[in-house]
Amino acid sequence: MIWALSLAAFLIVLNTWVAYMARVPSGRVPARPWGSVALQISGIALGLAALAVWMSQATSLSTSIAVWAMNPMAIVFGAFFLWLLTQRKTPVGDLRVEVGDTLLPFAATTSEGTLFHTREFEGQRVLLKFFRGGW
Amino acid sequence: MAPELQTLDVRIVAISKDTPEEAALHKERDSLQHITLLADPQLEVIRQYGVEHHKAFGFDTRNTLTLGGIPLGLVPSFKVMAIPTSLIVDETGEVRWIDQSEDYRLRSNNDRVLGAARDVF
Repeated sequence: MIWALSLAAFLIVLNTWVAYMARVPSGRVPARPWGSVALQISGIALGLAALAVWMSQATSLSTSIAVWAMNPMAIVFGAFFLWLLTQRKTPVGDLRVEVGDTLLPFAATTSEGTLFHTREFEGQRVLLKFFRGGW
Repeated sequence: MAPELQTLDVRIVAISKDTPEEAALHKERDSLQHITLLADPQLEVIRQYGVEHHKAFGFDTRNTLTLGGIPLGLVPSFKVMAIPTSLIVDETGEVRWIDQSEDYRLRSNNDRVLGAARDVF
């Protein structure tokens, strides 16, 4: 039973992370990720249950290593996922433009190392995205 | 989303705190050839537009936890970076739409942006 609990905890947390993060690049994360939340809570609960079972019975060294390899990771990463969701409401900031304003001109360097200026936008339709950066 | 925006003749320009070298890596890694990536490592443009986030939680591939030379993973930290914000600008330079979703995960959601672009153009 301890193996089943440990594997379930680890795989649930891992797969929930993978499935959620796979949606990030395409910008299709769910607005209300309650399914992911439920799965992570389940994973954490299973991890805690596995550790409780380990403490209540004698186990082999190999089983102990596996239990302590999988379950703390499941608990920590499951909790981390949930904590990240609590940080989702970031400040809107002090945006200096409003709809109807003219775009504030600026200069920057492109990824090719060339100079860019918003003069290039003249006559163009543009989607300008401020983003957190690549990882 | 890029092909749909191309049919509307919309150019996609993205700017972040990355250096030009980091932006180049990002462009290659994620196949972003159809996007103009701009580097703002000094946060000058980001501050000009008022979209600086002082305590954003993020990962930096230069900040790796190692044990005896073996990489164990990325160490998260609080960093200064841009608040994800999207603006649609028309041919005259007028800002026609701004994405101000409070939930950063939903900002610049493809459907939202495409819907806005279709409405504007």
